[in-house]
Amino acid sequence: ASQAFLRQQEAAPNLRKLVYGSVLGAETGDEEDEEELGGLFRVSRPQKSKKVTADAIDCSRFNPDTSHDWDLEEMLNSIRDCFVTGKWEEGEDAE
Amino acid sequence: MASHGLMYDGCNFFRQRLVLSTLSGNFEASFIRLLDKVTNGSRIEINQTGTVLFYQPGLLFGGAVEHDCNTQRSIGYYLEALLMLAPFMKTSLKATLKGVTNDPADPTVDMLKTTALPVMKKFGIDGEGFDLKVVKRGMAPGGGGEVVFTCPVRRIIRPVQLTDPGKIKRIRGVAYSVRVSPQMANRIVDSARSVLNKFIPDIYIHTDHMKGPNSGKSPGFGLTLVAETLNGCFLSAEMSSMPQGQGDTVLPEDLGRNCAKLLLEEIHRGGCVDSSNQSLALLLMTLGQQDVSKVLLGPLSPYTIEFLRHIKDFFQIMFKIEVQTPLEDESKGGDKVLMTCVGVGYSNINKTLK
Repeated sequence: ASQAFLRQQEAAPNLRKLVYGSVLGAETGDEEDEEELGGLFRVSRPQKSKKVTADAIDCSRFNPDTSHDWDLEEMLNSIRDCFVTGKWEEGEDAE
Repeated sequence: MASHGLMYDGCNFFRQRLVLSTLSGNFEASFIRLLDKVTNGSRIEINQTGTVLFYQPGLLFGGAVEHDCNTQRSIGYYLEALLMLAPFMKTSLKATLKGVTNDPADPTVDMLKTTALPVMKKFGIDGEGFDLKVVKRGMAPGGGGEVVFTCPVRRIIRPVQLTDPGKIKRIRGVAYSVRVSPQMANRIVDSARSVLNKFIPDIYIHTDHMKGPNSGKSPGFGLTLVAETLNGCFLSAEMSSMPQGQGDTVLPEDLGRNCAKLLLEEIHRGGCVDSSNQSLALLLMTLGQQDVSKVLLGPLSPYTIEFLRHIKDFFQIMFKIEVQTPLEDESKGGDKVLMTCVGVGYSNINKTLK
């Protein structure tokens, strides 16, 4: 559980950075430092990807993750509790 | 707000820019003409080579509008933008759009009807005359379809708290076919059910076979599936046959099975709003009254990420983005994203007060 918590902590600012780039005052400073430190860190992905996507088809559809094979029992089990037929949390009940 | 124009390159995300530009009142071609029809006093200039567009939005007027949508894109392409603008018109919009109703690229009119409209209802856009009707179906590439979209106007948008989608109680769908054997739709239904029956027994897939003048100009078939949750959230997936003369032909059995798997993928992503309506929900959150709105989404699509950047450009609004990982003993698909923002308190100045 603690690992999951740490992962969540890490993911949150990253997602914000991914969306908005490094425009946040405090984070901009950090990032510049990182870049100077050895050029190992990937900086502000948006700018890079923007060029590639600018002339793609203007379409809102979100293509699915091809790594998911929905023929596998494992994948099917991963969404079982999304349905009313799945497991219910305590305190909840079918109405 | 900036009085100078915003500059962008490329044709991708073109609609987002024009929609947001129209709504935010900032400075900034079949689609442009449609925008011209629903607004009053828009200034649109395109240079001679057609590579530079100047767009100064006018007031959103609405009313009865008829538009022949270019058949290179399906009506969904145009309708997605109209859905975003319609609640903010001066008079209720009644748009008759003609063209391609279903193609593999854009969200089809069937999908928008079953998913986008419920999303808008959550934000208080509801009531009489809120409808999307498929009058004639027209498959790509020929088109010949017709839909009527009517939407009442709203002065303000209600903030929402959509943090729990609830469990899926049933699956509905439409299997459509035109200018092919009506048996095709039945074959799609059977194969889709075979996949989905493992999860839930309450499945009903309607077959819709339009004939004669209502069947458009090209043959084709397809399937739209939607999973409805206890809290009234809708997750959907769809698939259409390739336009005649383009790509490999697909068997209805394969289409049904693959579409069912796409629905499972969408359920895996989860959230209170399905992946194709993320930007619509985020826009309505942005324009809501000055109160906190929260919506739980699945992973953000690249289109949505770009939309968020545009919202920041036009409205100076940044969302709080929190990742929520499902508990380990739960089987509820992948990570979710909780989006939080305070609305700009947009009020529809076009709407006359009564």
